Amino acid sequence: MDLSKIVTAQLIVNVAVILVVVHVILLTVAYLIYLERKISAYIQDRVGPNRVGFDFGLPILQKLTFGFGFWGLGQPLADGLKFLLKEDYTPSGVDKILFTLGPMFSIIPALMGFVILPWGGVWIMPELTLPFIGTIAGGPVLVAGANVNVGIIYMLAVASVGVYGVSLGGWASNNKYSFLGGMRATAQMISYEIPLGLALLAVLLMVGSLTPERIIGYQLEHGWLVFSQPLACVIFFIAILAEANRAPFDIAEAESELVGGYHTEYSAMRFAMYFLAEYAHMITSCGLFALIFLGGWDIAPFHNFLPLETSSVLVVLAKFGIFYSKVLVLIAFMMVIRWSLPRLRYDQIMQVAWQGVIPLALVVVVLTSVMVYFRLTDVVPMLIANAVAIAAVLWILPRLPRNEPNRKIRLAGSRFYAPDGHDIETAPTDPMALEDRPYEGSLPAH
Amino acid sequence: MAIRDEDIVHVSNPPLNRVESIYIPEIVKGFGTTMRHFFTSFGQGKTSRTIQYPEQRREHYKPEDGGQEPSNFRGVHRLNRDEQGRVKCVACMMCPTICPARCIHIVAAESPWDDREKYPAKFEIDELRCIFCGMCEEACPVDAIELTPEYDVVGLSRQEMVFDKEKLLSIFDATVGKKPM
Repeated sequence: MDLSKIVTAQLIVNVAVILVVVHVILLTVAYLIYLERKISAYIQDRVGPNRVGFDFGLPILQKLTFGFGFWGLGQPLADGLKFLLKEDYTPSGVDKILFTLGPMFSIIPALMGFVILPWGGVWIMPELTLPFIGTIAGGPVLVAGANVNVGIIYMLAVASVGVYGVSLGGWASNNKYSFLGGMRATAQMISYEIPLGLALLAVLLMVGSLTPERIIGYQLEHGWLVFSQPLACVIFFIAILAEANRAPFDIAEAESELVGGYHTEYSAMRFAMYFLAEYAHMITSCGLFALIFLGGWDIAPFHNFLPLETSSVLVVLAKFGIFYSKVLVLIAFMMVIRWSLPRLRYDQIMQVAWQGVIPLALVVVVLTSVMVYFRLTDVVPMLIANAVAIAAVLWILPRLPRNEPNRKIRLAGSRFYAPDGHDIETAPTDPMALEDRPYEGSLPAH
Repeated sequence: MAIRDEDIVHVSNPPLNRVESIYIPEIVKGFGTTMRHFFTSFGQGKTSRTIQYPEQRREHYKPEDGGQEPSNFRGVHRLNRDEQGRVKCVACMMCPTICPARCIHIVAAESPWDDREKYPAKFEIDELRCIFCGMCEEACPVDAIELTPEYDVVGLSRQEMVFDKEKLLSIFDATVGKKPM
């Protein structure tokens, strides 16, 4: 068998990128938890973790680090160590197979999602000679986990598999709170995949390709899509917040109502896998957002400094850095949202999806198709069209029938709502209870 | 009696105007508030009220800056001594009677001194059961039991946290400078 036919330049780059990116992302996830704790602390006028340095309190290491706390940067590593060493407890009464499968189903799609993100753009690889395999022809390769030409569809498919982990975990835990959390997550994900897909559709109508690198190429030519599709951008961001189970759409793990939601019964590494999956989902969806609306590795909205194809490794690394910093800024923004907005109630979430975001997304799709038909897809006409759409929505909104938000739902036969022709007695009817001598009255008669 | 329609007062939220009804501007205002707090408390800035505990303590601050007011802080107990160094307690059993947590245990004995009839042969306070309500010091007729400003009381076992008479008297010796009798 000729290995050099299978091992192409693209495959080598793919494997290398997967190996690097998975580790970078797992480390980032650990430090995202630190970032989230710091951001929440500062927003709430606290200090946040600032004690655990890289010495972890060990006397030997304390001498090396001079007892310096490093602003608590050792905290994520100490937390990870704690998760590994804790007892992995399986409660009695759980479905053992599904209970173990749940976290796996959650983390595998979360880590599968970002193979399509073109972190480094196209790199013209030099010819390479490897032992046992032979010479590998060079050429342009995509610095991504996989060169998938239907990348966006793959991403949508993988992201929606993630809900299995949440609902399986909730179901297998044999716990009412977990079950409710899992069910809520399922309904929410199904609802918010529609605006996610529709907002994507509006963008794809303009770009005309599902390949991630082509989307960036389009934005290099025509400016970032956040300027020509602002409405779709907001809708997409709301949808990825809901898909990643982030506040204000975190009813699946609403700690004030559901204890911990779907991961109430989990402990140790299985809990950590859910945690990792949530943050990996954030990275993936923010990566998708940066790719589609913020030009991926492009550095300026209307002027391209970086070439589409390059043979320099430095440029590839710079592209990676730009892409990653965009993702990190978006994640920090998500965290600020979490500590700014209150959690939506379950019916409000459904109302926002089905009565607010989905109709608006449909409007955006129709608008974009009309603009594409008339070939008016430059930034200025698209901005005007979006402004017209917002004005139309603002004009229509007060004329639409509205639900009273706190209306009283009458339940026939309850003690507050008598059926017709009946009167409901809510006062006590027992004569002894009506007397003002309850203690005496309860004594046996002489 | 059932609630009738005429008894019901319908309360509804004030109607949103057009800008408010799309929520986004209000959400941006909310971000303004959080970001203001973020930047003013960044790196223990001016809105941060945190005290870095083991190094900084509440005693180091004035009460108006969030510090401790030693004269009415209710920390660990002490048994006061009189001028001759004897235990002031007369074993009148007022404090175990008033104690809502039932954490004071006194064994009274005949006093070896002429000026009082009884004195506590044993005086034990279970600091883990105590709720630090200060009722014992209110009830004490001779101001023998008092709560001190000491709050970092630790022990390695439950038994260790049952303070006996000698321990409570030694707390008096240690805190008499901080909180005079």
